[in-house]
Amino acid sequence: MGGETPPLLNMLNILDIPFTPLDVAGILTIIFLGIALFLKIQRIKQLRLEVDKLNKSLEGMDEQSKLIIRTDMELNKIQEELDKKITSLYTLQELTRAISTTLEEPQIFKRIEVERLKEIGFEKALIFLYSEKDSRFNLYLNIGYVSEDVGIVKAFIEANGSQFLNLIKIQKTISSTSAVEGFIAKETINSLFTVSAFIFSVLLPKDGDKGFLFVGTENKDTLITEGDEELVTILTNQLGQSLENARLFEKTWNVQQELEKKVEERTRELALVIEGIKKISKRKTDFVSSVSHELRTPLTSIKGYAAILLAGKLGEVPLGVRERLEKINRHSDELVHMVNDMLDISRIESGREVMKIEPYDLKIISARAADLLSAQLKDKQIELSIDIPVNASEVLIDVNQIERVFINIVGNAIKFTPVAGKIFIRAVSIGAWIQVDIADTGSGIPEEAREAIFEEFYRVDSLINQQVKGTGLGLALVKNIIEAHGGKIWVKSKLGAGATFSFTLPVK
Amino acid sequence: MQVGVGVSIAKDYIEAAKEALFRAKKYITKDKIDFAIVFSTVEFAHPLFLKTISRLLGPTTIVGSSSLAVMSNQGFLKHGLVVMLISLSEKIYFNAALVEKISTKSINKAGEELAEKLLSGAKDIHRKLSVIFCDGLIKNTADLILGLQDKFGKSFPLVGASTADNPVFQKNYLYLNQEIYNDAACGILLGGNLNFGLGVRHGWKPLGKPRFVTESFRNTVYKIDSEPAVKIYEEYFARKIPELTKDLKRIAAFYPIGIYLSGKKEYLLRNLISIRNDGSLVFHGDVPVNSQIRFMIGAKDSILDATRQAASEAKQGMLEKKIDFVLVFDSVFRFMLLGRQVNKELEIIQEEFGRDTPIIGLCTCKEYAPLKIMEYSESAYSHNQAITILAVGK
Repeated sequence: MGGETPPLLNMLNILDIPFTPLDVAGILTIIFLGIALFLKIQRIKQLRLEVDKLNKSLEGMDEQSKLIIRTDMELNKIQEELDKKITSLYTLQELTRAISTTLEEPQIFKRIEVERLKEIGFEKALIFLYSEKDSRFNLYLNIGYVSEDVGIVKAFIEANGSQFLNLIKIQKTISSTSAVEGFIAKETINSLFTVSAFIFSVLLPKDGDKGFLFVGTENKDTLITEGDEELVTILTNQLGQSLENARLFEKTWNVQQELEKKVEERTRELALVIEGIKKISKRKTDFVSSVSHELRTPLTSIKGYAAILLAGKLGEVPLGVRERLEKINRHSDELVHMVNDMLDISRIESGREVMKIEPYDLKIISARAADLLSAQLKDKQIELSIDIPVNASEVLIDVNQIERVFINIVGNAIKFTPVAGKIFIRAVSIGAWIQVDIADTGSGIPEEAREAIFEEFYRVDSLINQQVKGTGLGLALVKNIIEAHGGKIWVKSKLGAGATFSFTLPVK
Repeated sequence: MQVGVGVSIAKDYIEAAKEALFRAKKYITKDKIDFAIVFSTVEFAHPLFLKTISRLLGPTTIVGSSSLAVMSNQGFLKHGLVVMLISLSEKIYFNAALVEKISTKSINKAGEELAEKLLSGAKDIHRKLSVIFCDGLIKNTADLILGLQDKFGKSFPLVGASTADNPVFQKNYLYLNQEIYNDAACGILLGGNLNFGLGVRHGWKPLGKPRFVTESFRNTVYKIDSEPAVKIYEEYFARKIPELTKDLKRIAAFYPIGIYLSGKKEYLLRNLISIRNDGSLVFHGDVPVNSQIRFMIGAKDSILDATRQAASEAKQGMLEKKIDFVLVFDSVFRFMLLGRQVNKELEIIQEEFGRDTPIIGLCTCKEYAPLKIMEYSESAYSHNQAITILAVGK
């Protein structure tokens, strides 16, 4: 080993300490280790500090997490309550719609269905109404109970009737979280109605039986809130309103039924009367018809004999007798005319007279009537004016019968129109009908007589009528003819200003 | 494959059955309908209801379940039924089976029994997928899944759910052919020329510091960070056990715990069933010792985002092949949290698959599925608060 001596060893040798090189190496190692240990301790201290720091921030974070969770929990509760409320409101809206769209009392209760009830958080429901008449509570709705349970509940309600009646009286909604002082204990209700939470809400229609709705749930987690109570109160208010409507409707319905029954009875009576009248009328028509027939034969004989006498075939007739015979002849003619009219009326009324309907021109008929009555018109210097346009001239009629109508009405007009008066015949087309108006400038018809003049043998009680002859059958016959054509006849008049007779005739 | 979906909200279950079938049949031109999936709300669970469907369909297998709400292309129904009729294409096979009285036997064995029944009808078939429905009232369903996987093999895709009538889980019914069962599980095994895509997401986000489960057994957690498990809830809500119990439904729905899975993006959720007086917590699904857990919080937006992701993943899984129908298992807690916006989930699914794709679904309390279909070689997990979207096509 011929190397140089290390400086540290040289120094130790100078101090006269007997160290070998190996000792020196050991010392050096110890020193290094000490430094390393020191540095490690320092590092551990530093790390501990960092870990403490991290732990602190982790703890801080954990504390913050706790706050977050607590806030989140509260928010979730609010959210849940809101969701529940919204869902319940939707359901309430549906329920309200369902119960308000019926007016039958039993149907109102049937529309409260278990699914809808569940939506508002309950699966059991009962409705009891107190009958004043029977002095007891009657069950109207049962959801979620078997008949055995209902029996128990009903017996309990009967036994505690005064408490439930008081509840109705104070009009209060109570629940498992808002009990009323003096009311049955919550635990008793829970046990009897087999629920964990419940609401009682009163049903108060204005009239009739009042009562209460009970809703409950077995769900132990359910906590009834004020919102739940409000919701069920709204439902019972609506139920009360619907009951009220149903009862009102039933009342109205009963009155209506009573009225309908009465109307039916009266109609039946009326039908019987009409039937009787019809029979009498037929008997009258038959009577008139047979009497007229019977009258015609002797009248023909009277007329015939009067004619023979007037012709002087049985010897010279003195002037006084002639005058009387002429009167007999004239009156016989009138009587024949009257009998013929009566026969025509009875034939038309009885349907024996068949109308021979054909298309015909009204202008021809009115001209013919004017021609026939020209002498009378001339006598009284009455001007007859006819205005029948082309589009209102063709009608479907029995020509002979309608000609009689024209002659009758125009003839009457001449009778009641003073000298130099005017008569108008006008026609106008109205859909499937032609309306004919025959107006005059005569004395007019009093209002009270305007309908009666179409009745047989009716004559207006007036001075002029006492002077003008008539049988009282003409207008009755006219009416029958027009109605036999399916038309209508009426008169408009103003006293002293003439009258207008209007009638309709078919076009098709 | 021809698929038709019919819905009815008629009150009378016989009328409802007729109406829903009539509507579903309109989409099927083939004479033969292979099987029908029937989901209904609880009030329809009546033997006559299934007998009516069976009588009208003839010899067709019927599988289904009751639920709090059912889903179809027309939205969620809280009262109603939805029927999906499926006429399979050639070379697609299926078998349906049920195991009942589960509470009287070992749950693991019940799983094995169900798997055996399903496999017995599909011996020479290339098995593709199993869909399982389980009564939501059955506990320890993880064992049922294990039993199924023991027979199917752990890598065999298994999708399913425990059905839920409501968040407090009172009654559930399963349907097979003409009969109604509870305390049962049923399933369909599909095989042959079939493709499927799966998406499972929940959308809950971790909050607060990570903690460790220091003592647990199955679905009961005794200690977290060596302290009584309930402390985590007491601290977070600043309430004692009685108050927590009072609000359990809401806490369970909105604030589950999340188990961290190494390498996975999403936490596996476990929602609380009950709080015991000794401070232990009982969850829907197992929580192993040493699990790293976080407190979880959900918001409507994040939940709907998760629906979007699940739908998108299911669609991607189909590799652009035609999708014949979509099956949705939607957690009842999502249903609760989304409240009036619950139909938004359907809108999102329809946006992804198109409005004409037949969709049928129901509310569930547990969902069973691998975390991701691309990794379905791994076991199915029992999920909580998740939406499972299964797209099926030829």
